[in-house]
Amino acid sequence: MLYTDHLVLHGIGIKKYADAVNISEIIGIAQAEVENSIDRAEERGLVMRADGKATLGPAGRLIMQCNYSRFYDSVRKNDAFVAAYDRFEELNVDLKSLITAWQVRDIAGSTVRNDHTDADYDNKIIDRLGALHESAERILAAMASVLPRMAIYREKLLTALERAEDGAIEWVSDAKIESYHTLWFELHEDLLCMLGKEREE
Amino acid sequence: MAGSMEWIMRLDGTNLPGKSLIGGKAHSIARLMALGLRVPPAFVVTTEAHAAFLATGEFPDGLVEELERAIAWLEESTGRVFGGASAPLLVSVRSGAAISMPGMMDTILNVGMNDQTQTALAAESGDAAFAQDTHRRFAQLYGNVVLKADAKGFDSASDPQVWRDMIHSATGKTLPDDPREQLLGAVTAVFESWNARRARRYREHQKIPHDLGTAVTVQAMVFGNLDERSGTGVLFSRNPSTGEDQPFGEYLGQAQGEDVVSGEFTPKPLATMAEIVPEAFNDLMSASKTLERAERDVQDIEFTVERGTLYLLQARSAKLAPQAAVRTAVEMANEGLIDRRTAICRIPSDRIRILMSPVIPEAARVAAAQLAKGEGACPGVGIGMVVSGSDEAERLGNEGIAVVLARPTTSPHDVHGMIAATAVITEEGGSTSHAAVVSRALGKPCVVGCGQGRLSALNGQTVTVDGQTGQIWAGALEVVVPDEVSDGMLAQLTEWAEQLAPIRIISADGAKGLDALDLAAIEGAEESENLPEILAGNQTAKGAAGGAIATDEGVRAAIDAGLEFIVADPRLPSLLAAVQANVEPVP
Repeated sequence: MLYTDHLVLHGIGIKKYADAVNISEIIGIAQAEVENSIDRAEERGLVMRADGKATLGPAGRLIMQCNYSRFYDSVRKNDAFVAAYDRFEELNVDLKSLITAWQVRDIAGSTVRNDHTDADYDNKIIDRLGALHESAERILAAMASVLPRMAIYREKLLTALERAEDGAIEWVSDAKIESYHTLWFELHEDLLCMLGKEREE
Repeated sequence: MAGSMEWIMRLDGTNLPGKSLIGGKAHSIARLMALGLRVPPAFVVTTEAHAAFLATGEFPDGLVEELERAIAWLEESTGRVFGGASAPLLVSVRSGAAISMPGMMDTILNVGMNDQTQTALAAESGDAAFAQDTHRRFAQLYGNVVLKADAKGFDSASDPQVWRDMIHSATGKTLPDDPREQLLGAVTAVFESWNARRARRYREHQKIPHDLGTAVTVQAMVFGNLDERSGTGVLFSRNPSTGEDQPFGEYLGQAQGEDVVSGEFTPKPLATMAEIVPEAFNDLMSASKTLERAERDVQDIEFTVERGTLYLLQARSAKLAPQAAVRTAVEMANEGLIDRRTAICRIPSDRIRILMSPVIPEAARVAAAQLAKGEGACPGVGIGMVVSGSDEAERLGNEGIAVVLARPTTSPHDVHGMIAATAVITEEGGSTSHAAVVSRALGKPCVVGCGQGRLSALNGQTVTVDGQTGQIWAGALEVVVPDEVSDGMLAQLTEWAEQLAPIRIISADGAKGLDALDLAAIEGAEESENLPEILAGNQTAKGAAGGAIATDEGVRAAIDAGLEFIVADPRLPSLLAAVQANVEPVP
């Protein structure tokens, strides 16, 4: 299996169910090349397609998983990358508590859903997200110096953050779009797969 | 400090440069000093130095030498030595633009810490753990904020070398050992944070020029934990709960400021401070009076006592409970500290509404059963039978039956039901939801966000709604209503406001027989933003009643429309709004 073909499977795995444009963006491979690779994978029964969107079949998932250690051995042994990953996991704790504060808030001693009618409350959290992003940028810069495609997350996270800062607050955590939280979750998934780790909850 | 300097100003109270040159923080330090109050000595690197740095990317010529001289002056003023093997000087480094903005580096504390000063501080305080913890805090803050280590897990029990290694492995940079290098690094980091992404975006949104620049304040740190004659605390120049003209505060002996905030230690009343450090206590009392006279407002003062000497760290106008705001404003006007108009402008009308809204006595509360709880969105107490539909609420209301309207949420289709109800309660939404906004405009007690499905079970029950605390009680509880006549302070304020208001505010009883436009009968008049148009369409009216006329915006609309009177109960909140409408907001 070629590195590119594996990366496409990896992209589909992270996006779960996505078209070639989305996959090409997240893995940083030209769209035409991604299309070709998906075609080949579909022929081999690794990938299923519906409405132009691809999803991994059981065989595709197995092949994808078996090949991580082969393609990412050098990344796994790279101290700078692993150190950056450790810092990412620490920051992930902060992000999770921030997203929780975004979704529910404590009012008069009881926890209620944040209905986003209190702009002051929301803006404070978006400001916290801005501060957290400064750390995330440094971590991603360190990762990108080893694996250049990590810079894609840096750009995409910043785009989501700035949209939220400009008042389109769905870009904080809406699961249906590439919101900050959606991207963060995908980034986490990406790292766990490459490094062969399990998600800790 | 011999000779004048180009980029640095010593703060000694002899002059009071503008905020644009020295930033807000240095300005407030200089102001305290100018009043003759003791503040830890400080100097400020001006915004001009930063502007020069922004232009060239480097420290302007002479700044490093000036920092050296300014530090020498701090050493001389404190009798301590920067990096010294005994009595070490530690400083805080703070950014201070004329306007504070997000993303800027805020504060680096304990600059000057290293292994040698830790040893010296341990010997001086007799508290090795404190010295080690101060060192740890410095390494953590400097490592993360200046060197961007993004590192967690700085443990006070570790050897300082462990912290240095953590920072080095995360950044490839070395935590400076030399206090002077630490200081230059901190100043540079503040300068560079000006161009942090969030700060740039903030300036672009707010149209603040990018070349305005920030100042950097460097201040000697004082220690409240050096001996038994050291401590830290906060003081209000008058009681912030009751408004009584009696200083109120807390003191924690042998402690640093963060110990008070952390809640791990229980502060003692001020009387203990008077016993242990009587001189510092007397200085504090006189500082409190001086500040209150100068600022003409109740002051909230943070202070530290180091070896029996009082240092003020910060003073600002105190946040007061509604009752205290009324009492202090009236008494300060009577004392001649402020004029009556200022006294009235000190009291936001919504605070008065809180103060004058009906309350449930504690005894009744204790005996009652709570049925639901949400967020109090409009203060006041409403009693009635719970109904779930707005049409039903209106029908029963018209029959003279007191109802509480309970809805999952409200929309403009519910306004007639809200008008008919004695209180409004919702399952979802927060303090800016439709129910909350319209209830406040109507002056209806309102509780929002009680939780999905929590209210439907209450249908048909008689309940008491407390819009202040957000509680809903079973049955009809006893209610007490404060008024402007029986309360001396409120009566005094009412008298003053009547003299100053550009419009008459009449109670419903007093308005009988007067010809007032009945806004309750006009659609849309419960939303204050519609009032200017409605009033413009009824130019023959001399007065108005109902709708949102008694709200602040309603009062303003009535004044703008040239009305002679409006009807409001209670009168005082609208009276205050009428006086305040005539005055530019106090900065």
